[in-house]
Amino acid sequence: RPGFLSFNVNHGYLEGLVRGMKAGILTRTDYHNLAQCDTLEDMKLHLQSTDYGKMLSSSEEDLTVSMVDSKLRENLLTEFSCLRSNALPPLSTFLDYITYSYMIDNVVMLITGALKQRDVAELLPRCHPLGAFDQMAAVGIARTPTELYSAILVDTPLAQFFQDAVSECNLDEMEVEILRSKLFKAYLESFHSFCKTIGGDTKDIMCPVLEFEADRRAFIITVNSFGTDLSCTDRSALYPSCGKLYPEGLSLLARAEDHEQVKAVANCYPAYKIIFDDPEPGSGFKTLEDRFFEQEVKLNTLAFLQQFHFGVFYSYIKLKEQESRNIVWIAECVTQRQKSKIHNYIPIFQETT
Amino acid sequence: MCSLLRGEEMCLAQLFLQSGSAYDCINELGELGLVEFRDLNPGVNAFQRKHVNEIKKCEEMERILEVKKADISLPEGDVNPVAPLPKHVMAIMEQLQRLEVELGEVTRNKEKLQRNLLELTEYTHMLRTTRNFVQRTSEVSVFISGLIQRTKIEAFERMLWRVCKGYTILSYAEVEEYLEDPDTGEPTKSVVFLISYWGDQIGQKVKKICDCYHCHLYPYPSSNEERTDVVEGLRTRIQDLHTVLHRTDDYLKQVLMKASESVYTWVIQVKKMKAIYFILNLCSFDVTNKCLIAEVWCPVNDIPTLRRALEEGSRKSGATVPSFVNRIPTNDTPPTLIRTNKFTSGFQNIVDAYGVGNYREVNPAPFTIITFPFLFAVMFGDLGHGVIMALFALWMVLYENNRKLKNTRNEIWNTFFEGRYIILMMGLFSIYTGLIYNDCFSKSLNIFGSGWSVKAMFEAKVWKDADIRGNRVLTLDPNVTGVFRGPYPLGIDPIWNLASNRLTFLNSYKMKMSVILGVIHMSFGVILSTYNYLHFRKKHSLYLVFLPELLFLLCLFGYLVFMIFYKWLVFTAKDSRLAPSILIHFINMFLMQAPTLHRLGMYRVRFDFADEFLHQAIHTIEYCLGCVSNTASYLRLWALSLAHAQLSEVLWTMVMRVGLRMDTSLGVFFLVPVFGLFAVLTVSILLVMEGLSAFLHALRLHWVEFQNKFYSGTGVKFCPFSFSLLPSSFEHDGLL
Repeated sequence: RPGFLSFNVNHGYLEGLVRGMKAGILTRTDYHNLAQCDTLEDMKLHLQSTDYGKMLSSSEEDLTVSMVDSKLRENLLTEFSCLRSNALPPLSTFLDYITYSYMIDNVVMLITGALKQRDVAELLPRCHPLGAFDQMAAVGIARTPTELYSAILVDTPLAQFFQDAVSECNLDEMEVEILRSKLFKAYLESFHSFCKTIGGDTKDIMCPVLEFEADRRAFIITVNSFGTDLSCTDRSALYPSCGKLYPEGLSLLARAEDHEQVKAVANCYPAYKIIFDDPEPGSGFKTLEDRFFEQEVKLNTLAFLQQFHFGVFYSYIKLKEQESRNIVWIAECVTQRQKSKIHNYIPIFQETT
Repeated sequence: MCSLLRGEEMCLAQLFLQSGSAYDCINELGELGLVEFRDLNPGVNAFQRKHVNEIKKCEEMERILEVKKADISLPEGDVNPVAPLPKHVMAIMEQLQRLEVELGEVTRNKEKLQRNLLELTEYTHMLRTTRNFVQRTSEVSVFISGLIQRTKIEAFERMLWRVCKGYTILSYAEVEEYLEDPDTGEPTKSVVFLISYWGDQIGQKVKKICDCYHCHLYPYPSSNEERTDVVEGLRTRIQDLHTVLHRTDDYLKQVLMKASESVYTWVIQVKKMKAIYFILNLCSFDVTNKCLIAEVWCPVNDIPTLRRALEEGSRKSGATVPSFVNRIPTNDTPPTLIRTNKFTSGFQNIVDAYGVGNYREVNPAPFTIITFPFLFAVMFGDLGHGVIMALFALWMVLYENNRKLKNTRNEIWNTFFEGRYIILMMGLFSIYTGLIYNDCFSKSLNIFGSGWSVKAMFEAKVWKDADIRGNRVLTLDPNVTGVFRGPYPLGIDPIWNLASNRLTFLNSYKMKMSVILGVIHMSFGVILSTYNYLHFRKKHSLYLVFLPELLFLLCLFGYLVFMIFYKWLVFTAKDSRLAPSILIHFINMFLMQAPTLHRLGMYRVRFDFADEFLHQAIHTIEYCLGCVSNTASYLRLWALSLAHAQLSEVLWTMVMRVGLRMDTSLGVFFLVPVFGLFAVLTVSILLVMEGLSAFLHALRLHWVEFQNKFYSGTGVKFCPFSFSLLPSSFEHDGLL
């Protein structure tokens, strides 16, 4: 492989760094201990013994779940910006691509917030810091997608994903979701082809992950569109075309009308069959979303088995995000005294002890 | 001495601490550092233990102190305040919290004032700059004016244009001064802008865009008179603010000064208190819930001291029922404690780096004190280099109490400083071996007068003048009377320094010497193993392991050593031609007696179980092969010593001799830089680099060749609960 020889010259330090950070991901025992906590203070005490260290201890007021959440995000941002500021191309572009998905989510959230007449100052703290950009606060001004593109987002990196999304219809809640799907479709396809041009192990690792992501979006769009007035053709325009479902699976999905038919489509693909399979008796019920998350975690952990590729960066960020979701979930359960549901988190790195 | 050879005898003891006096007792033990506590509640989570609240409180105090450290300069000094009593904790806590609140208020006030000042300054700038923007005011247009960061103005202008489709006019000018950003504290350049627009809808959009770019907006005066009034008013307010800010600063300084007196003490006190509660969490309650039970490892010799400490603790807390110690029998292996002083600790560290010895196992460290520097010096043998090294180490030893040397944070320097006694010994031994090799910066010293005489060759009429002129190289014949007058009294005869076959001679000598030293070293290791067998009551091992091992070693390599000595002693210069080759003889012996190896293995079969048999068979094979390879390994003594001598000779001929060969008049000036170069290279290559390499090889010879004969090194180190070992050395927490 050509990349092997020169990879470490440019990206070796960062790969080492990210692998070191990966070692700090919470283990089974950590989760076990966290799940035993009775208050957030106990969780704070336990998190102190992990790599999070004194992250939570500096706060003077009483802990709340949203504070934990924002601290976790801050933590992730610090780590990410450390990686980003030391990155050389093409890794820097790759890392930028990771942030774009958060930017899309932020834009959509700001527009929905503006539709509900919320104040921007109230919305901004809720945006994911990884997807922050200068023009963020002005997003609410736009009335149509075209305006959004030509006035506000044209200078941002998101502009490249707007080819298909430009339309003159007014932004309402439905339209915003469609916009999000279109942006994501363009984003995933662009990211996919970028990884392909990098080639080597990055391609081998990243393409399956992105294909999974694309297919997940297709499934979720289909499932969520039941009961809305989204037509088949509208729907099929939103499916990202870089997944494993493309093209046959997507055309089948476009025609699906209920959950059973979606399941029938998934049955043709062994990778997705397990997600839609009925849960084994005895194990607790899991939502479709959780099952997809589980599968995503599985795919992302695989990235660490190989060296000299960019996949570890993507996987690390995604795993860390999942970890934040887990911690927030446990914290929610702890504060609401829902001990029975506390074990519904998705552990990362099952085998490690 | 016995303690250094075997380590302290340890015992497991139970401490019964009355709940009232437990804190004081643990405090007393922490000051003394006598015992290692065992965790009696291993199944309990960190946050479910008894004193978790106290620990949390300590952490809270630590957090407050942590915040302070940025503002407060701590005084120098080695104060060692005792841990505060539990009842005094609240007072400290209160003081700390009051201090925190006070500091927080003052800083917040100061920040507010600073923000205020910034706003006023910005406003003034804006008014001053925008004066010239608008020549002609029209009734319809509305103005928005403010400041924006220099870097954002371009994007701002573009978005304004795109969103408002040209219904705005933007004019801007840069502010000359740098204004301090209140969030980051960095000086930044700002731009004053003025937007005029028509229509309400556009106005809302403009305001939103201004918000988005974090512009600081200020009202735009409608007339010139109003403008002048506002500027005047602003000037006086800015002056006022400056005086207030000055006062606040003074007050802040006072508060900090007051706090800095006690903060250092508090930091240590809180650390100690936290440690005590941590230990209390390791203890368990007895059934009556009246006293705490702790299990500790303690050196047997220290038990009286331990008792006294407990009495002292009980007395201090005024408890009626005393706390007491109870030795309990145990089958667990105790941790290893070997007491060291500043001289032996370096050598003990060398041994511990390989592995901490098992409990009561023979400790190689006391022997290492001599053998390590000696083996090093065999490889590093040079009088001059040895003197430099010894002087350097001596300087460190003499100034070891100097604070500057001791408290440096340079890791490399610390390594050298910790090993100052090792370096001293290495230097002294190098002086000795340098004398034996007769090497001083690769030159020989002729102290006693050479034992060889060239003149005698002429007197005996063996050489004539023509021989001298005709030949570049001539051989001295020791058989001619008067040429060889007996050996040089100490070490190698200096005449070898001139001989062209010097290397051949030295190689033969050093190679044989390495084998002799190696065999002695290894035999000594094997003999030390008897101490382990005797102590651990394994008498059978004495006959079945030790004796065969020693026999094997001595019969093969001991015999080799014997042959070397025999050849040295029996064959003189006269009959040297008849001397046999040891190497050929040894190989022949091996080929004829090769089955020995197998017989040793078979010998043990009949007596042991299958398991033991397999283990011993492997051990036997390993030992036999090991003996051969280890003996060969000692040849590194020769190789390194040769390399060192050659390197220093090369340095001399390539650098120093070039300078010495110059003309006298020029050479004087030339010699100064040449000597400088010679000195630098000597220190950096010959002393530091070669020294490190010889050190590593000596280390290997001890770890592998010597210690594998008797030392297993799989023990656990005794780490007592002691305040002095706490990470209270503030460097770790960044508190100093």
